[in-house]
Amino acid sequence: MVFGGFLLGITVGATPGLAGPMAMAISLPILISVFGFSNDALLPVLGFLIGIMKGATVGGAVPAILFNTPGTPDAYMTTLDGYPMAQKGEAKRALRIAHFSSASGDTFSDIVLVVCAPFLAILVERYLDLPEKTALLILSLAFIASVIGGSVGKGVISMGLGLLAAMIATGEDFYPRLTMGQSSLAEGIPIAAAVLGVLILGEVFKSLEDLHRTTQSNTMSQVASGQSSALSHNDLRRLLPYIGRSALIGTCIGALPGIGSTLAATLGYTTAKRHYVTAKPDNAPDFGEGAPEGIAATEAANSSVSGANLIPVLSLGIPGNAAAVFLILAMDSIGGFNPGPSVFRLGGGIGDSVMNPEMVMVFGIFTAMFLANALNWTIGGIFMRLVGVMARIPKNRLLPIILFLTLTAIYVQETSMFAIWITIFFGLLGYVMRRVGMSPLPFVIAFILAGNLEATARQAFAATGADPFFLLKSPIAFIFIALAIFVVAYNLRRPLS
Amino acid sequence: MESGSSSDRWLALFFLAFSILIVLVWIPLDTETGLVEKVRRKFVIGDALAPTITGAIITLGAIMIWLRPSQGHTITRKNVIWILQLLAIFAISLMIMRYMGPIVAMGFEGGYRPLRATPPWNYIGFLVGGTVMIGGLIATASRRISIRGFAIGFATSLIIALLYDMPFDDLLLPPNGDV
Repeated sequence: MVFGGFLLGITVGATPGLAGPMAMAISLPILISVFGFSNDALLPVLGFLIGIMKGATVGGAVPAILFNTPGTPDAYMTTLDGYPMAQKGEAKRALRIAHFSSASGDTFSDIVLVVCAPFLAILVERYLDLPEKTALLILSLAFIASVIGGSVGKGVISMGLGLLAAMIATGEDFYPRLTMGQSSLAEGIPIAAAVLGVLILGEVFKSLEDLHRTTQSNTMSQVASGQSSALSHNDLRRLLPYIGRSALIGTCIGALPGIGSTLAATLGYTTAKRHYVTAKPDNAPDFGEGAPEGIAATEAANSSVSGANLIPVLSLGIPGNAAAVFLILAMDSIGGFNPGPSVFRLGGGIGDSVMNPEMVMVFGIFTAMFLANALNWTIGGIFMRLVGVMARIPKNRLLPIILFLTLTAIYVQETSMFAIWITIFFGLLGYVMRRVGMSPLPFVIAFILAGNLEATARQAFAATGADPFFLLKSPIAFIFIALAIFVVAYNLRRPLS
Repeated sequence: MESGSSSDRWLALFFLAFSILIVLVWIPLDTETGLVEKVRRKFVIGDALAPTITGAIITLGAIMIWLRPSQGHTITRKNVIWILQLLAIFAISLMIMRYMGPIVAMGFEGGYRPLRATPPWNYIGFLVGGTVMIGGLIATASRRISIRGFAIGFATSLIIALLYDMPFDDLLLPPNGDV
């Protein structure tokens, strides 16, 4: 399953206009149809999705180098040096550098995940009670709303809309709240319809309109691949400091909820550029003119996000980016696994001698990640060089197919035309959000976390004897709330982008 | 005031009005419990509290946008026309998808419902509706109606139908769960 997902991920990553989360969204209902909703289904489904997630990051570099078109947004910086290298007839060498850097960053990030996630979970479990957990969820949402996109106000509204949508037909009373008496809404908004609508359909609507407006030619010219050029020890010695620095930057950014691989790639590239000025060898090209170090820094940074972004998912149950959203969606749809600090408990609940099945599952996920790494190191590079052809598929034909496939996947899961209309509604919302410069990611993450946030707050309120200031009484909860306010206020002061 | 920031101010006003509507009209009319309820001599959080706080969050966001409007993002008349075009394509194609099978099966005893899980009947609405949707979207994006676009739509719909229907007996293609 990891192998299949990985190959699909590279193919999707190499196709401009598609991205890992799109492939994950479309695959999920098919995988659930194949494996069902039993506990045994979780690992193969997550293995496939993890394969896609990792493959897509590697694949994104292919069209960036060969066609000057990033396959995924986080590969934009790769075009700056990758394409000039390809124009000089060094396309194969550039692809090798991208692959080596990507695989290195990915492996580093996974090691950090395996080491850090259990410790973080144990800390959370030991020191955080219900009020602190509520405050932590509030802090995460405040962080995500503030740092994503150019405007804090729009991020906050996006988050508010996500919370509001998730509150429809939930609650504790018999009457399903906020349904306006509509029986079709009484079951609530299907999570897949809201998430896929805002993330996938919204993007498809916007991209189709861009194509409609520009009527651009979809044909791309591929530069000559050039001679095969393996990386020498000297090359590796030169590249490794840049890869190491970027892997560290990408891992730190990946571990923070809400900050994606695009920012990691940008930071990795700009940091490397600053160092390159002092360490540049004579006659070597500058950054932006075909410097291998530029490719290495970008690819190591964006790939090292993929492992680290599972740290908040597994230890806190908080998704950090779109790919993590789909992993949580898979866990939520199949059931039997509730990501959060409790998954790292040793005991199984029945008796202390029984191993916690959720912890076994987590280590299964870790194994799947290292399997994907092994595939990346062994066949990733070969497959990468084969999928350059994907960039030739015209987007104006590909996007309607993606849209129809997504709608079919929603119907197969929900068996209702109403769910299709809800998905289209959320697609339009996602489209409008993108047009007014509002990131849809806070919406999606708030939608996923809303149920947990409300339930934890209710329990905390009850457990503290109906204390209305329960979020401010505990020092840790108070610090989290103060941090949430600080994060919003600080980001409000930074210049608008 | 530049046009970009002016559109952000309009956006702020829209969300301010929306949040007021949520807090003062929608929540009071559409929730059965208040902000806090007394149940068996204990106070518990009611169903209205979380949506009310959400309304306050949206108000806060609107105030932030008003105070710090950004530039360059706005919904134009062209965007509205594009949305209407998309809605028209979806309305037509989903209508065809929903009713094509029952119309074709009208002459048969019992109508479409007993046939909805039987090939080729279960494919009729999906194939025709899917062809129209994909072909229509390709035509709109490329500003040109082409036979090739609809042929791609038909081929794609057929592949997706076979992908879901052949291996899984328990899955229903659209619109067969609704008929």
